[in-house]
Amino acid sequence: MRSNGLEYQEQQPDSPIRRRVLGWLVGLINLGVIAGFIAPVLGFISSPARRRREPGEWIPVLNAHELKPGETRAVTYSLMVKDGYMTAEHRYSVYLYHRSDGTVLAFDPSCPHLGCRVEFKERKQRYVCPCHGGVFDTEGNLVSGPPPTGLTKLPARVDGGKIWIQRV
Amino acid sequence: MAHLIEKTTEKPTPRSDGKPERGAELPHRAGRVGAVRDWIEERTGLFGFIKHHLDEPMPPGVGWWQTLGNLLLTLLIFQFITGFALAMFYAPTPDHAHESVKHITENVPLGAFIRGLHHWGSSFIMLVVVLHILRVFFWGAYKKPRELTWLVGVAIFQVILAFAFTGYLLIWDQKAYWATVVGTRFASTVPVIGEWLMHFLRGGKEVGALTLTRFYAIHIMLLPVALVLLTAAHLYLVRRLHIAGPVVPQKGAPQPFYPYQLFRDAVVVLVGMGLLMTCALLFKPPLYPVADPSGTAFTPRPEWYFLGLYELLKLMPPKLEVLGTVVIPGLVAIGMILLPWLDRSPSRHPAYRKWVIDVGLIVIFLIGTLTLKGILSEPPEVIPQSTSVSSSTTGSR
Repeated sequence: MRSNGLEYQEQQPDSPIRRRVLGWLVGLINLGVIAGFIAPVLGFISSPARRRREPGEWIPVLNAHELKPGETRAVTYSLMVKDGYMTAEHRYSVYLYHRSDGTVLAFDPSCPHLGCRVEFKERKQRYVCPCHGGVFDTEGNLVSGPPPTGLTKLPARVDGGKIWIQRV
Repeated sequence: MAHLIEKTTEKPTPRSDGKPERGAELPHRAGRVGAVRDWIEERTGLFGFIKHHLDEPMPPGVGWWQTLGNLLLTLLIFQFITGFALAMFYAPTPDHAHESVKHITENVPLGAFIRGLHHWGSSFIMLVVVLHILRVFFWGAYKKPRELTWLVGVAIFQVILAFAFTGYLLIWDQKAYWATVVGTRFASTVPVIGEWLMHFLRGGKEVGALTLTRFYAIHIMLLPVALVLLTAAHLYLVRRLHIAGPVVPQKGAPQPFYPYQLFRDAVVVLVGMGLLMTCALLFKPPLYPVADPSGTAFTPRPEWYFLGLYELLKLMPPKLEVLGTVVIPGLVAIGMILLPWLDRSPSRHPAYRKWVIDVGLIVIFLIGTLTLKGILSEPPEVIPQSTSVSSSTTGSR
């Protein structure tokens, strides 16, 4: 024994079971603390991904007389959108196609492949994706290239002299 | 008694190789500075630690090729410093991000230069990390006992790719926005959880405010911590297992790391950083118009180091894009991870590792060709045509 006030005793022989149980408890406590901490953090950061999609409202995007039969036109419109912590004006675009039977088709300009914006080539009457070469006809059907499907159609109608679309 | 606490004044046990142990006694220095030095040394062993590593013996034949790791480390440290400086002027919100980057570039003194260092620095890092990986690959330096050093290095490479991807969006211009739209869309091609994963990455259905804050948090918090930990582990393993010498052992005596190899390191760092600074001075970092989700007239093209992947996706047949987005890149990553165990040859010499070298060369050739194809291919002509209308309807992302 030392005389500096610190006294050390011989370590008591310990039972292996006691050591093992205590070891397990240490592991369990640490796991519990980590899980209790990580779970709410994961829940917090994944919350935007769990939000359910709601069908969008109908939006007037163009005066009906401005779209001639057989014409395809890109129309840009603005929406006040709740974007995370802010509500801001976002600009979107949609392709409108006036079919010969008088109905109007609306296409999301996102390529169904990887989301690039398709361009409508007036001369060829084809939509072309500049990224990976997807080609679609005026009805939005896939003609060639890697996209898995045709263009995404948005619900559209003509009402009160205006063309309305519904964002989905 | 055996467990009495005693003042530790005994001399450390000498190393088996005859060299002094870490923190072993260094000659005492006279004067006040020497006294401070001794005081720090006695408590931390810092100077002994440094001396130990500076004296690390380098096998004969170690030379310029072994300077790439040090250059990479220096570039990463510079990238951290310029990133820290940029963060002081940057605002990670969609309505201010582009404006703040524009302000940095055009109004803040030295802003274009600091942003240029960060922008071109990412390309330099990518180039040097690839060269470093290739050097280790061709030298077979991943073989026993350095498998874990290689694995940690592969993890560092993945972290660097993640840095490049998340840093991209922050400037919030057209290129950044659309590259992120396409990049996050990759996640949606993962079977079963793809859609959820994409929304998780984006923080919602579309790329928006929460995508920006997410990427910013990952870029400045998560990835730097991961990189520091992995780099520390990598350096520890490199020093513990010592640097792998040439594949054919060279004649001659080992040389200490300092000053011989450190001199080569310093020269390469001088040249590398000089080139980076020249790039930053001569070429203003690009900034396209502010991100516009409605734009149909912008052709997104990623940075040169992702162009190989970009071109690969053009080759994938319909409905099999998952091959280009997940399967092939995943196979390359898994191949890199398993390399030390796939290569069963006991020799490090390329002549005795034929199939591994052949496969490696094919992969390098394919990635190189696709990247070159991407660089050489002109973006297609764009025809902006749109009519604008406005609506005050409130929707949600």
